[in-house]
Amino acid sequence: MLSACCARIDVMSPSQLEDYYDAVIVGAGAAGLSATLGLLRRWRNSSPEDAAVPKILVISKLQALRSHTGSAEGGIAASLGNIDKDDWHWHYYDTIKGGDWLVDQDAAHLLAELAPQTVIRLEHDGVAFSRTPDGHIAQRRFGGHTADFGKAPVKRAAFAADRIGHQILHSLWQQCVAYDVTFAEEWYVSDLILSESDAGKRANGVLAIDTHTGTVHAVNASNVVIATGGAGRLFSTTSNSWDLTGDGLSLALDAGLQIEDAEFIQFHPTGLAHTGILLSEAARAEGGVLRNADGEAFMQRYAPEHTDLAARDVVSRAIRSEVKSGRGVADPKEPDGPRDCVWLDMRSIDPDHLETALPQVCEIIRGYANLDPSRDLIPVKPTAHYTMGGIPVNTDGQVYSWSDGERHLIHGLYAAGECSCVSVHGANRLGGNSLLDACLFGTRAGESIARDLLARKDDTRNPDGQDIPRTPDAPAIDVERRKAKIEQLLHRPADDDGAAGPASQDGGLGSAVGGAEVRQGVSDNAYALMSDLGRLLERHIAVVCDRQGIAEAKAALDHGFTRRAAALRTHSDAAAYNQELTAILEAHRLLALAKAVVNAMSAREESRGSLKRLDFPERDDERFLAHSMTDTTGRISWQPVHIVDVPPRQREY
Amino acid sequence: MVGDGAEQHADSPMRVVIRISRFLPKPERPRRHSNPFAKDDAKQEPAFPRRKRQRGKQWVQDYPMRVHPQDTILNCLLSIKRDSDPTLAFRYSCGHGMCGSDAVSINGTPTLLCTATVGEWAKTPVPLSSGNEFRHTGVTTGSVDASIPVTTSDAGPASPAGADESLAAPGNDDGGDAGPDRIIELAPLPGFPVQRDLIADIDPMLEQIKRMKPYLQAKGLLATKADGAVDVFEYLQRPEQLHRYELLSNCIACGVCEGSCPVYAGGEAFIGPAALIMSSRFINDSRDGATDQRLDDIRQADGIAACQSVRACSRHCPKGIDVGEEMWRLVERSGGAQG
Ligand SMILES: Cc1cc2nc3c(=O)[nH]c(=O)nc-3n(C[C@H](O)[C@H](O)[C@H](O)COP(=O)(O)OP(=O)(O)OC[C@H]3O[C@@H](n4cnc5c(N)ncnc54)[C@H](O)[C@@H]3O)c2cc1C
Ligand code: SF4
Ligand code: FES
Repeated sequence: MLSACCARIDVMSPSQLEDYYDAVIVGAGAAGLSATLGLLRRWRNSSPEDAAVPKILVISKLQALRSHTGSAEGGIAASLGNIDKDDWHWHYYDTIKGGDWLVDQDAAHLLAELAPQTVIRLEHDGVAFSRTPDGHIAQRRFGGHTADFGKAPVKRAAFAADRIGHQILHSLWQQCVAYDVTFAEEWYVSDLILSESDAGKRANGVLAIDTHTGTVHAVNASNVVIATGGAGRLFSTTSNSWDLTGDGLSLALDAGLQIEDAEFIQFHPTGLAHTGILLSEAARAEGGVLRNADGEAFMQRYAPEHTDLAARDVVSRAIRSEVKSGRGVADPKEPDGPRDCVWLDMRSIDPDHLETALPQVCEIIRGYANLDPSRDLIPVKPTAHYTMGGIPVNTDGQVYSWSDGERHLIHGLYAAGECSCVSVHGANRLGGNSLLDACLFGTRAGESIARDLLARKDDTRNPDGQDIPRTPDAPAIDVERRKAKIEQLLHRPADDDGAAGPASQDGGLGSAVGGAEVRQGVSDNAYALMSDLGRLLERHIAVVCDRQGIAEAKAALDHGFTRRAAALRTHSDAAAYNQELTAILEAHRLLALAKAVVNAMSAREESRGSLKRLDFPERDDERFLAHSMTDTTGRISWQPVHIVDVPPRQREY
Repeated sequence: MVGDGAEQHADSPMRVVIRISRFLPKPERPRRHSNPFAKDDAKQEPAFPRRKRQRGKQWVQDYPMRVHPQDTILNCLLSIKRDSDPTLAFRYSCGHGMCGSDAVSINGTPTLLCTATVGEWAKTPVPLSSGNEFRHTGVTTGSVDASIPVTTSDAGPASPAGADESLAAPGNDDGGDAGPDRIIELAPLPGFPVQRDLIADIDPMLEQIKRMKPYLQAKGLLATKADGAVDVFEYLQRPEQLHRYELLSNCIACGVCEGSCPVYAGGEAFIGPAALIMSSRFINDSRDGATDQRLDDIRQADGIAACQSVRACSRHCPKGIDVGEEMWRLVERSGGAQG
């Protein structure tokens, strides 16, 4: 497995892995790339032309351009006011209200105030925004975006047809090409390495597997940014790509850190039936209406004012409730299947406008449902979409742990994007705010690292000021233990040949999980495990939950799934491009995260935002106006929400 | 109104064999005293490294399945991974045509796994000599989730010990359905070296794209007021100006056009359609000020003269870009093909 040298020219991988980096960025989506550019630009603006450039490595388990950011459709929020009059204070208010007051208001303030300049920077970076007739960035309506503190809808989401994520991802990557950034693509980060001293904890680097060869590398670095995206794969119906297994959150947990507000997972109301593929909110913004089996536009009943564009959690629960009352419809693809969908009716939208405003949505409907949105009703169902919680960070992207009523910074460790929680989304994210979060706070994380490096370079103890001194006392990372562990995953015990064995009989697959079907012909594997895990959580904790569902999910995770996960081995011992090896590591990550999510869910005995507990149907500010901080021990501590000037009120739509 | 979608699309399951060209690279020997990341001596590298072939084992494996015509081929492969053969390697991510990971050759045509449906690609097999007939194996259930595992004598998932190019060995025939199963043949994207199974090394394409300076080099003109103060901070661009490059900017760098190009995939020195599309995207962007430089680069790029205007590249672009037409325009605009 230590087979090393790649004979091919490896243009997109580091031609030379340095023995030390000033910054390692894990993840190449909007957040990771923004952090990279933020660092480089801030450095360049503050140092002479000939100054040494910090050594940066961007590691991504996917090729950078495949990152999930590319799938975002609808838009990015900013009070540019290009179409309707807008004001960042209104955006600020909407964000807090959307998040059901679990939003840190100092962070939301920055988000809303700096949104316009963030969007304009993206435009300068090349994003092909749609335009108003006079050439300004075009904006569209999104659920929850209002003028004058909730009074009327406002067009705030800047968009590029329905491909905003593709445009942002490609433009940021292109800018990284301009800066000649080094990428290690298709490298899987398996461990986050921290070291501890009297000065507290600090980041020391990561361990990564080059999947091209299966080789494990220690990547030593004085700064690490975790930007690994969300964890939609916790659920079987999800809009997220296959690789969103929550690696970053789980890396943090595994390194002994906490994650914040893990119990809040947003379900987008309009996944395309059982595929989970997202039909952008823009479909409703452009005039699409949800209807139940009786043809009733039922959102009128649930949210008379905002109807189909009410907040996502409100619409998702309304769909759930229609389905539960017997007014759901079956996916036409499976006429005898469960009646767990409702209709999205776009037939009233002018067909030409439909094609120009929503090309992607139309393409998806035609390609994956074989329906024509201008003539057919489209089956939709809530789909797991966004992880509000994440690795706790301050507004400079620095990771901290919460204890004794205080934030303790982990030096040199940063997080950004969907895997982080600066807490601008609170209990429920507002549409268009996540790309904004990833780009804005990603950039700030990078800038913060640059400031730190600049300070160290100018330090009096570094008289020539040429190089950036390394962090003192960072011990070299020990790879051997980890290598052995991975080696072990590649070699199954002698009595299990891995192929065609009826391994299901040992109870691993079927019994403990309840409902997992016995698979024929191949022993248990990571793909099967992740799929079963998705179904388990979907059944017990998706959209709504209660004590019993939580307990059942927890029991299955702690026993059946834990046993299965520990027994996973690859079915091929060839280390090069062994996707199953990566999948096993992802399954371990996903399982650890699932446990944390369920623990946090169980501790929060109230309903707020995306979390609806049937046994605690009301919001309880007295006990729970606080962020849950969960670690692997299952202990939860509570961090008060930063309330600045918008005191909690009832959240009505 | 309700339910008018309900009956028309019920597609009943069908039987297909997914026939996959598989490849397992030979493990490289560790070379002592050399940095694993160091490029091989650059001077030893041919100008077009993508022509290089990995050494390893090659074989063909059949996976009979029962699936819906409307299922994507990606979904079939995912269920193979889950239910019968976790060793099968192929790239995928978004699952709906946005990320560009999963370009492969389907029945000889480059396209994306996640946008290709079974119904569209399953073909009736040309009869083969009796020894190589497909078998129908045991269990069939109604959903894509329950694929039928195939165990072949010499090409089991764990150790493809078989000889090169061996077809999967015959299995039992359940004598169930009449007629042969339909087949879908999968192979890695043509024109790029295979790395494992359906994974091809597309780095050469990305490298070519990068060589064309694929980033906005803005003229830097911001709209100003009469008094000279900056009026708006974005570069203004009217919808009709956007329209000139918007479609080009949707390229997801999947490589389908490159795999379809007989010149590129045929191995000639050629910068390739994807890099040219990327270049054209900026040439047509009213905000970009580097057009002359870009046209120069195109003139000097490897063998734009090699483009024989076959236009095979246009046919399967998942983003509907008329790649061939665009290339022709570029050739004209850059002042002829004789760089
Ligand atoms: C279908 C869809 C539509 C959306 N539409 C919108 C919208 O209209 N507006 C909006 O604001 N938001 C939208 N979102 C949300 C938004 O797209 C995401 O929150 C955002 O793109 C996340 O960016 P990111 O950089 O954090 O993560 P990602 O883009 O997911 O990137 C994660 C990166 O981490 C890497 N990675 C992960 N794990 C590892 C590991 N272990 N080792 C190495 N690398 C790793 C991956 O390779 C990848 O490069 C949408 C989301 C979905 C699913
Ligand atoms: S032009 Fe089309 S086929 Fe070619 S790489 Fe781009 S998206 Fe793929
Ligand atoms: S999986 Fe993303 S394009 Fe096919």
